[in-house]
Amino acid sequence: MRILVCIKQVPNQDAKYAINADNNGIIYDDNTAYWINMYDEHAIEAALQIKESIANSSIDILSIGPKRVESAIRRSLEMGADYGYRLVYEGEVTLSPSIKSQMIAEFCEGREYDLIITGVMSEDMMSGQVGPMLAARLDIPSATAVMQFIINTENNSIWLERELDGGLRGSLELKLPVLITVQSGINRPRYPSFSNVMRAKKSEIIEVATSTHLHNLQYERLVDIPEPEVGRQGIKLTGSLSEKAQALWELLHGKSLI
Amino acid sequence: MSNDIMIVCEHKDKEFLPITKELFHCANLLAKHYKSKITLLMPTFVPLEIACPEYDLMVVDSPYLAEYTCEGWEQAALLGVEEVKPDIIIIAHSSTGYDYAPRLAAKLDGSCISSVSAIEIRDDKVFYRRSGLYGKLDLLYDAVKRPLVITVLPGAFPAYEPLGGEGICRNISADIKLKQTSKVEYSLLDIIDTELDYASVVVAAGRGIGKEENLDLIKDLASCFNRSAVAGSRIVCDKGWLPYSSQIGITGKKVSPPLYIACGISGSAQHIAGMKEAKMVVSINWDSEAAIHRYSDISVVEDLVKFIPEFIRKCEKT
Repeated sequence: MRILVCIKQVPNQDAKYAINADNNGIIYDDNTAYWINMYDEHAIEAALQIKESIANSSIDILSIGPKRVESAIRRSLEMGADYGYRLVYEGEVTLSPSIKSQMIAEFCEGREYDLIITGVMSEDMMSGQVGPMLAARLDIPSATAVMQFIINTENNSIWLERELDGGLRGSLELKLPVLITVQSGINRPRYPSFSNVMRAKKSEIIEVATSTHLHNLQYERLVDIPEPEVGRQGIKLTGSLSEKAQALWELLHGKSLI
Repeated sequence: MSNDIMIVCEHKDKEFLPITKELFHCANLLAKHYKSKITLLMPTFVPLEIACPEYDLMVVDSPYLAEYTCEGWEQAALLGVEEVKPDIIIIAHSSTGYDYAPRLAAKLDGSCISSVSAIEIRDDKVFYRRSGLYGKLDLLYDAVKRPLVITVLPGAFPAYEPLGGEGICRNISADIKLKQTSKVEYSLLDIIDTELDYASVVVAAGRGIGKEENLDLIKDLASCFNRSAVAGSRIVCDKGWLPYSSQIGITGKKVSPPLYIACGISGSAQHIAGMKEAKMVVSINWDSEAAIHRYSDISVVEDLVKFIPEFIRKCEKT
């Protein structure tokens, strides 16, 4: 089984950031720590579990971005993936999911993946578009928010269960090749083993150029980063820890909530 | 550009789902600005006799549209696009919507903006707002390429009840084929009628509680209140610290208790949609920029591991 896992490197949730002069780009502090998008870690784990159960499986890891994303790819190799690819994009502007999915589709040409796995969305931008768009570009079926799956190699299909709204689950069977996006409840990502860490040190991450015509396509464009909407005009408690605790008690008591 | 709008409707037993009525409101805002037409696309398994004077209706029926499949709905939506030729396609950001909407955008090679929370008009131009960067910032987009597919965040717009009466309704019997999909089934998790539905005070734990042992703190805090219940964000349920029956959010439960206390919750749009009807919201999160603080009546910017024991001591003293 040939598996591709698409991962994104994201800045950690507490990263210091600034907004650029044009108010349409986010600039992160040089000291920012980046990690693998949490949902994509689950995608890697899902791929590793397939590799352990189906003989002759191999896992390719792909990420788009500048040199720094190689640390995320390296980490995936340490977890046990086989080959790492970086689709080179050095630009400052965040790429539209439409462009990213076309870059990956280009990469997939001739590689004949049976299964493509990615996270249900990125933690930072939360669009959830690249996966289904890539499947559409490759003209293969897809399923999002997958909570569990079973691959049937005899009839070349995958049975899977999706998370739906309000506590519903939906299951279906799809013919391979398929793209799935996984929800975080699907598994517990492993820590890299020592032997895989040593192996990954020697692995080369292959750089792949992306077509420049894709860089210049225009889809939706970020034009402004306005103040977030405020759902409630609340109060922020001040003072020492003890004073805040006292103030909260008094406020709740005043409303007969405690 | 005609700026014509097509809404793909989710419905049940000839009734529009609440989220679909929210799409009507969103579409009305756009149609008013562009002075454009709105068509409702309804994928169904039998022809429907319904009408709506405000909107054109297009019913696409096929036995293969009896239940949602990505493959079937994508074909139905593409057929609608071919007939209506809309510039803007509006879809719910539901578990069905986000499953096929990006595919539709890719097939049409158009723009796609997910989980839109507001439409903004500036200098006579339309922009689309959504939340980003872990919910800390809002992002405003211009749709350069058409057609544009947007998915609309549940709860972001008020519901609009369309008028009854005569209207144009076209039925198209479609030749939908499911070549790759089979064995479609739906099941309900056992989450109905838990104590969360009746609780006066919901104390919810998020990723910020750090480790499973700290759930005891959350339970101790809950025990300070009468008729209280403990709930969690999806991460906490995914980690297995709490069962999925206590998950708050779009994919879990929606609650509206008199008091909601969010502990270590960052406040993603998905979570907010599940608790924003609470009468009063208290958030405890050391990150002063966390989105949850914008949806709170009382914000406590403190480490919950230190704050909660302190608060419990105050409760015990009085």
